[in-house]
Amino acid sequence: MNQILVVEDEQHIADGLRFNLEAEGYQVHVVETGEAALELLQAPESPIDVVVLDVMLPGKDGFAVMSELRQGGQFVPTLMLTARGHPEDILKGFAAGADDYLAKPFELAILLARLRGLLRRRDWLRTSLNHSVAKPEPTDTFTFGDKSVHFDLLELHVRDKVFPLTLMEANLLRYLIQHEGRPISRKAMLEEVWGLHEDTDTRAIDNFIVRLRRYIEDEPVRPRHLLTIRGVGYRFVAAPAAK
Amino acid sequence: MITTGRRKSIAFYIAFGIGLISVILVLYIGWIQLNWRHGVLLVLGILLLLIIISGVILNTISLVREINRNEQKDAFINAVTHELKTPVASIRLYLETLQTRAVDEEKRKEFYRIMLEDSDRLLATIEQVLRTGRMGAASRGLNLARIDLSGLVEECVARARAIHRIAPESLTFHPGAPVSIMADLEEVRAAVSNLIENAVKYSGKDVNVRVETEQIDGYVLMRVKDAGVGIPKTELKRVFKRFHRVPGPLASRVKGTGLGLFIVRSVAKRHGGRAWAESEGSGYGSTFFLQLPVAK
Repeated sequence: MNQILVVEDEQHIADGLRFNLEAEGYQVHVVETGEAALELLQAPESPIDVVVLDVMLPGKDGFAVMSELRQGGQFVPTLMLTARGHPEDILKGFAAGADDYLAKPFELAILLARLRGLLRRRDWLRTSLNHSVAKPEPTDTFTFGDKSVHFDLLELHVRDKVFPLTLMEANLLRYLIQHEGRPISRKAMLEEVWGLHEDTDTRAIDNFIVRLRRYIEDEPVRPRHLLTIRGVGYRFVAAPAAK
Repeated sequence: MITTGRRKSIAFYIAFGIGLISVILVLYIGWIQLNWRHGVLLVLGILLLLIIISGVILNTISLVREINRNEQKDAFINAVTHELKTPVASIRLYLETLQTRAVDEEKRKEFYRIMLEDSDRLLATIEQVLRTGRMGAASRGLNLARIDLSGLVEECVARARAIHRIAPESLTFHPGAPVSIMADLEEVRAAVSNLIENAVKYSGKDVNVRVETEQIDGYVLMRVKDAGVGIPKTELKRVFKRFHRVPGPLASRVKGTGLGLFIVRSVAKRHGGRAWAESEGSGYGSTFFLQLPVAK
């Protein structure tokens, strides 16, 4: 069963949404503040599949919650819902990392259809990701230079040191390795590794790259394996030419 | 009404700017023409310079004020948008639910209750905004009649208890001797209920509000004392300004348009009375006073 988080401080609207979403067969969680939403979504292994996020919340507003989530690497599909329907508000929502935006008052059927759309897109990308990433991989270990990545253990071995990798770091590294030697755009990484599409802040990728470089580069400021391709994204090189 | 006021002030600043530029021009022409008379030139130069400097300072102050006022107005429009659209969104959501889904009898009754509450909220916001529009015309005639203030307060207290489902001991009323005032019933009712609503709204979950009326000399005084969030000393006067809301996290936690206390103060003034607030600061609760002259 898909789990929906509704972040809404107007109790009447929250109750109405809960009733309808439960009738549609979702498991619904409701929180009233941005802080509570962040806590729930930033927990490891958050069970939430899709988020309905109100903008005008007590304390941290919806825009702040949205960008904090995306910067922290939480890319759960999110629909922002608000009384403010001005174009600049909508643009601000998308810039913060929202996947969709709906102004109040909204039509119930449209809200439900958009939520279904977000879930469907996520499922499609997940399937295509399984095909493109998981298949061409004979062993779950990749060795380059004096380093080896153990995907099954989520570990990176550099000489005698062992670095634990998060699932996302491992997936990103695997994707880069599979496309060894070819430049890859940030957008492609978001789509293929995270299963996200459009309008997400691609700078979040850069934080991951910085972390990966810290593991696999002898000198992270002068990368030799994980190269920046200006204006495009990144390129992985397994065996760089001698210095 | 609001727009013309804004336009007038913008026109004033444009005229003021043109005036300042002409002063500069006079200075330049004077410089050329009076170059040979050094003593006169010095005095005139200093004089004009002082005028320009004080003018620029004045202009800047007024501009900053105008910008502040604009910002407040934007915040007000946001708040009103929210206060108008949220109940409509809610009513619409429940109507669509009732239309498209099988809802059992109990739920259906609950939905009707929610929709009624939302329409009341919507109506209250609309009335607040319309009343503020009328307050602008200070000379507009009041519909005066002899009213018993204690009776009116009693009625407003009972209404607030019913709407917010508050126990009588959490919202108490202690009337003084019955006094009549000459007043516009609708206006005084709005002022009284705004004060009670605010006390409840800013009390949080533990409502403890005491409402009193008392006759002092030629006036009748209504006191609304709450144990809620309180008001910082610097904000005690400002809270009565139109659109003003105490800045900080509270404004976003407790929703409102920033019109309620402005209406209270305007009503008091129009009836020859006054309204003020006292508070020991944030966290110590606050007391609001509405003082109106007794009918002769």
